[in-house]
Amino acid sequence: MTNPYTILGVSQDADKSEIMKAQMLAMKKKEFPLQEIAIAAKQLLDPAKRLAADFMFPAKIKVKRIQPIQNTLTHQVIDVNALNENAFNSLK
Amino acid sequence: MEIVIILIIVAIVGYLIYQSLPNTKFEKAQNLFNAKDYVQSISVLNEIFEKHVDAPAKLAECKLNLGKQASAKPEKVNYFNEVVEIRRRISKSVSIAKFEIIESNALFEIAKIQYEETKGDIDKLNQNIKFIDTANKKGSESDFSSLKKKHFYDLADSYFKKATDKEKSDKLSEAIQSYNTGIDYAEKSDNKTVKNNSVTRIVICQLKHNDKIKLDDVSEIGNSDKSYQKELYYRYAIQLLKNKEYTEAEKVISSNLNFQSIDIDKLSEIIKAEKNNNAVKKIEEINTTIEQLQKKTLSTEKLKVSYDSLDKTINDVNFINKQVSEKISALKPTLFNRLLTHYIFAEQFGNAISIIQKYPKFWESPELLKNLGICCYGYTSKGLLTEQNYQTVISSWLTSVFSDRVILKSLDDTTWDDNYTFTLIEAIGSNYSQHEETPDNVNYDEISESNISIGATQKELLQQFETIIHKEIKDAKLSKLVNDFYDKEKEALEKVISVIENDIFFATPHFAKQNGFNNEIIEELDNDYHNYSNEEALEAGVPYIKNSNSTVVYQYFYANDLIDKVKSAINSENSIAIKNLNTKENKQWIEKFDSISELAEDKLFNSISNKISEDDENEKLISVMEECILFSSQNAKLKHQYSNYVANYCISKVNENKIDNFKALSLMKGAYLRSPNNPKIVKNFITLIRFNLMDILNDRTRKINEIYTILDWVKKNNMSQTYKQNSNELSTARQEILQQLKKAGADISLFDESSLSSLLSGHSLNSQGLKMKKVLTYLKELGNE
Repeated sequence: MTNPYTILGVSQDADKSEIMKAQMLAMKKKEFPLQEIAIAAKQLLDPAKRLAADFMFPAKIKVKRIQPIQNTLTHQVIDVNALNENAFNSLK
Repeated sequence: MEIVIILIIVAIVGYLIYQSLPNTKFEKAQNLFNAKDYVQSISVLNEIFEKHVDAPAKLAECKLNLGKQASAKPEKVNYFNEVVEIRRRISKSVSIAKFEIIESNALFEIAKIQYEETKGDIDKLNQNIKFIDTANKKGSESDFSSLKKKHFYDLADSYFKKATDKEKSDKLSEAIQSYNTGIDYAEKSDNKTVKNNSVTRIVICQLKHNDKIKLDDVSEIGNSDKSYQKELYYRYAIQLLKNKEYTEAEKVISSNLNFQSIDIDKLSEIIKAEKNNNAVKKIEEINTTIEQLQKKTLSTEKLKVSYDSLDKTINDVNFINKQVSEKISALKPTLFNRLLTHYIFAEQFGNAISIIQKYPKFWESPELLKNLGICCYGYTSKGLLTEQNYQTVISSWLTSVFSDRVILKSLDDTTWDDNYTFTLIEAIGSNYSQHEETPDNVNYDEISESNISIGATQKELLQQFETIIHKEIKDAKLSKLVNDFYDKEKEALEKVISVIENDIFFATPHFAKQNGFNNEIIEELDNDYHNYSNEEALEAGVPYIKNSNSTVVYQYFYANDLIDKVKSAINSENSIAIKNLNTKENKQWIEKFDSISELAEDKLFNSISNKISEDDENEKLISVMEECILFSSQNAKLKHQYSNYVANYCISKVNENKIDNFKALSLMKGAYLRSPNNPKIVKNFITLIRFNLMDILNDRTRKINEIYTILDWVKKNNMSQTYKQNSNELSTARQEILQQLKKAGADISLFDESSLSSLLSGHSLNSQGLKMKKVLTYLKELGNE
């Protein structure tokens, strides 16, 4: 099934009159078969079916804006060579 | 007198001759040896050294014992050397063989004294080993072997000492060489201490030498000196830190250096500092990711890598700074949503489904469940279903659409619907008035032009999906799998929704089992059964069973399964399997549930009918049917079915001469027993009684006794009302026989058991007559005269 919003070339917020106008325009353009245009319009003009179309073809998913993390940690110097390698000499 | 003197002289001369004989002397030497007078014994043995074969060995033994008795080592050695020297004097090979055993003893004593003088000196030990190797060891092999092992043991110790001296002088290569030599000797002498310590010291030398080491599978280290172990693991931890193998270093410290020490603390501090620096780096990376996300320059793949590494980063940073770790944790859902959005709009539905399913308890979020539904629809419509994934996709789709909360969530994302309200009145997966909090534009009122049915939306979604799976799947096998599975899952979910009153999360069986909350649904169904004795609730729960458990739903499944097992046994004509299932406990399980026990007989009846329709002359089925009658507590139909089958079988087989009359009678006895008032059965049974009696009369059967046993059983209180009404066939047969006898001029009174004339006539019947009389008597008793 093709996205009815794509067939009619309308946004997901389009109201009834915009859908009807879009149907007429789509029929003139003939980019899609007439039957598909009719089905798409019927679907978007029926609120229950339109809700189903919105489910199947979601327009957007709301995402929060992310803020960078404030870094309170600082880099520490590591000096392995300062370690006493003979600290546990067992052949004293 | 002269004679006496002569005899005395002869005796003296004889005695002297006897005394000078070698054997006599050897005996004397032996006695002296036994009395431990070795010096005198030696003296005698020297006299007969060449003359008696045992003399050299005995002489050597005397010297050996003198050596053993001696207290000073040089004296001992002298005696033992004298033993060895004796060999040169021996000329007879027989004597040498006996001597060699004593000689090896002496050589062993010499080697022992020499060993005592080695005192760990490597050269002396080696020298004595050579002495042992070249010595004659005849009869003392085991003593020599033990002594040699002691040398190896001492050599292992000596080489270990030598190696430690070299190590102290920083001559590490030479030290390793000596440790290895020590290990060789330790292995030969079972000197475990030296072996374990040497292995450990070699690793320490390698660490001192900055060689890269691996400690896999070195069990000796754990058994070595504790101070060596400490040194080794400390040096190893430093090496790992130098090589930036911090995780491994941390493992070594926590496993092997878990004691208080300033030096160990220093190691831990370095690890902590490294973790800090790693956290700083990770936070920088996360901030770079965020920056790229904001600039929309981050690829989906990089976002996925960043998201996947988040849990580890949270864990790592938590060790350094809890607050920063919590900040990173708070990012996780947002990054997840970003990634999901990327996947959905790139139509990478498989990846999207995968990350949603990995999200903890994703089904509790209507938002995620909705997105899962969207992805499952997209995935299916793109023709991506396979035999491996269809179950997950379909069960997720159904679970998503059957959740009214998911549809309500959809309303959040649209603005066109501002003029409408929505009603849950016909919503599927919704329990009326159960939702405590619904959006302002959602109600439970009647459907109208402006009050839109959520249920209609759900049905539209299901219809759209069904159109895809019915029409778009080209592979016939996959199409069948998918559609069958879809129907099964949907039906199961609808059943559960129709039964459960509480507002729980409804899911299909596969989804619930996959995500581990199937038992919660089963519990609800159990409660429903307890409250209303509603067996439909149990039936609805069966698809949700994953493992055996103590729920009533499981008991219901088990009882049903018993019936299925009997059906399967009927199908495979396995009467023994049915017999084994026929236990008191199994029957109790079936009786517990009315819907199962009431239908049990019908189910078995239908299974048997199917078998009969395949083959209506299958004798194996008779025993299967008998077991089914015993298994089913309600069995009137089964008995009727059985009796008719047996009757038809017998009639057909007797007519075709494929079974004899006796076999038919035996089978029909079973049918008559189970249907004693079925006229068809009774009539056929009576006819077979007549056939069998005629067979006896005409010598056509050898089963006379067996036939009479069955007839006696009938006579003995087993004549049903229907039998009595139909048994004139036997009486008629009797009358006909008597008529024929009469025509032939026979005295028929002789054949009447109760006739007085048969007793008074004085005539007696021959064997044929007696047989006739018995048959006539049975015809009379079994008939209705």
